[in-house]
Formats: sequence, structure tokens, C-alpha cells
Amino acid sequence: MKDEQLLAQLKKRDRNALKSVYKQYKVEFFKFASRYTNDESLLEDVFQDAIIVLYENALAGKLDQLKSTLKTYLFGTGKFMLFKHFRDSKKQVYTDEEYNFDQYEQAVIQDVSSDEGPSDYQKLLLANFKRLGDKCREVLELFYLQNLKLDEIMTQQGYENKNVVKSQKSRCLKSLRDLIQRQNG
Amino acid sequence: MDKESLINAYFEGGLDENGLAEVARLRATDAEFEEELVFQMELQGALKKQERQEIKELFESLGKEEPSRPVKVFKLRPWLAAASIALVLGLGSWLFFNTGAMDPNQLYEANFEPYDNVVHPIERGNQIDDLKDRAFIAYENDEYALALELFSELNQEQNDPYIEFYSAIVHMQLGNHNKAVAALQSYMAQDGALGDRANWYLALSYLKLGELEKSKEQLRKVIANKTFKADAATNILDALE
Repeated sequence: MKDEQLLAQLKKRDRNALKSVYKQYKVEFFKFASRYTNDESLLEDVFQDAIIVLYENALAGKLDQLKSTLKTYLFGTGKFMLFKHFRDSKKQVYTDEEYNFDQYEQAVIQDVSSDEGPSDYQKLLLANFKRLGDKCREVLELFYLQNLKLDEIMTQQGYENKNVVKSQKSRCLKSLRDLIQRQNG
Repeated sequence: MDKESLINAYFEGGLDENGLAEVARLRATDAEFEEELVFQMELQGALKKQERQEIKELFESLGKEEPSRPVKVFKLRPWLAAASIALVLGLGSWLFFNTGAMDPNQLYEANFEPYDNVVHPIERGNQIDDLKDRAFIAYENDEYALALELFSELNQEQNDPYIEFYSAIVHMQLGNHNKAVAALQSYMAQDGALGDRANWYLALSYLKLGELEKSKEQLRKVIANKTFKADAATNILDALE
């Protein structure tokens, strides 16, 4: 599949695109990264995290003007994360890093590599999020996960105007709060 | 800009320096604003973390599916490559001119591929408890026996025609072409939106069952529709006649 196509699918949160990236580059990434470590389980973790970083940065529009190939970006991210891991665990230090991720991208990398799963409060949020209606979950996921602007949600979902989306979103957040409150009280 | 719009713009990444400064000011001075912003940040964080977990599970399942092994690449010398192309071309035309019509089984194998899930994009976060999600996840993951079970369960709950269409594709995957034909006919009788696709799959099912006349009839419909698989249908029809 071509990069543009793959990117477009990733931006729609298409799981098949994630599978393609994984399948397409796994062998090559392991080969590429084996010069830094032969710890296969570390490489697997880093590879998976790098795809997630690629995915989240694609959703944030960071790859819209990508100058390199997807593969270069993915491998660069993986390498960056691997070195970060070495630095954090003070095992080995490599100095041949050559990356130019901006602040946002680095924050995503940091966030993904330090992700230890949802906190108790977030679990509560998620459990109640599931109890929201389809429409609510959809609009909130489009906004918070797919990073669509209210305008874009309006166009994509065929709402009449931006204010309808805005109040829909605000209603859904209120329902979520109510559900949590009822559960706690 | 009201506070709600300010928060929305904050998440949309559409704030300039002044906007960001205003957010910082309100966070420090307006407890209600701070609470609302943190609530939404926590929600976004929770949704992201959950999605990451799902993606990792997806990767784990891929890892188990097939142990990755390096692909062997044979490099042919140019003259050898040219010779092999000539051989393939020669063989191809020999087969073409000598065997007449192609074997329906071969035509089927060359042309069948499961239809993409276009009715229920699996995009949402965590709704795996949802029956429809589970059915289509199984379908997309090529777990056809499971998909069939879930589709028939789904069919009892909600009688949407497309369930029959996808059940038919699953039947084809499992080699139950008689059942596929029945499901496709029933789908077409309900005038489903994927009717032209149904013609194509019906043609392939008949092909596999050796009912060539019926297959040709469906192929002609596909060709007449001039869109989905029209070229492929023309090729099969040519090969059959």
C-alpha cells in the first residue's frame, strides 16, 4: 500500500492500516534495530510503541506534510525510543541520534513510552463512557481521539451547524459526569 | 470567546499565544474552568490509553498468527529474467489456446476475495462488548466460523439486510456455497444497498458450484452495472465462453 493511502486510513482510525504497518515493517525493523540490542522483547515493545506514536502523530496532523517515507519516520521514531530507553535505564548511551521531532511529537513519544495504563479515575471514566449512547461516544471519540475540529465533525457527520456539534459535545460530557456521579453517590 | 469555546479551541490546537495565556490565566484563577479542563484532559487521556491497549492487543494477536520469517528474495540475472518472462508468456498463451475455457475452480480462486467491511467501521474505542463490533472484528480478522455465529446472533437481534450479505461472504470462505447462494438471494430480495456486489459474489458462488449458466447470468448483470468488478466479470465471462 502507498504511504498516502496508509496515512489516510490511519487518520480514519482504521485498524487494518495499523495491522498493515505492523506486518509490513516488523522483520525489517528488527533487522535495523538489532545493531543496538539483541533483546527481542524490548524490540517488540519499542516497535509497537513506535507504531502507536506514528499513529497518534498522524491523527494530530503531524504527518500531513511528511517529507520522508512512512518507513523512515517509523524507524526514526523507533530508534529515538530505543535510545530513550537506554538513557532512562542508563545501560548504554548512544550519541548518533539524528532526529528532528518537534515538541509535540516528543511529548507524544514521552507519553506513549511512559504509559502504564489508565489510572483508577480514568478507569471510572472509561467504564461510564461505555454506557453513553452511540452518538455521544462517536462525537467524543471524533473530537478527543481522531482530533477532528468541531467544524470537521459537523461536515463529516452532517450536522446543521457548528453550534449543534458544540452543544451535542457539551451534553455528552454532562451525561458522562451524571453517570459517574450516580455511580459514586 | 466564551469559556467553553476556549476549551474546545484548546483541544483543537487552534489557540495562538494570547489564547494560551488566557487559558493559563483562567486555570489559575477560575476553579470551575480548571475543573472542566482537567475533566476533559483526563477523558482524552483515558480514551488514548485505552486505545493504545487495544492496538497492542491487536499486535499481539498478529504476532501469534504467523511467526514472522524473513522473506527470501531471489535476484534473477537480467537474461534469466527475460527468459522466464518469455517462458511465462509462452506457457500462458499455450494454455490459453490449447485448453479453451478455464477451469471454473481456478477462475473462482483467482477472483474471490472477501468484501471489505464497509457497513460498520471498527473505529470506536472500547465497544468490544457490542455484538455488531465483535461480529465485524471477527470478520476482519478472518475468524470466519466465529463471525458466522455472531452474524446469526446479530440477525436475530436486528434484521438488517447487510448481515445476510456478510454471512454469505463468510459462507463462501468456509466453502458452503449453497448457503452463500441462499443468503445472497435473500439479500437481493430485500433490495440491499450492496446489490451490485451481491451479483458478483453470486456469480462466483455459482461458478464454484459448477452452475455456469447461472454464473454467466450474474456476470452479465455485473457487467451491465459497469462499476464494481465489471472488468473482472468480463474476463471471467470471456474465459467461460
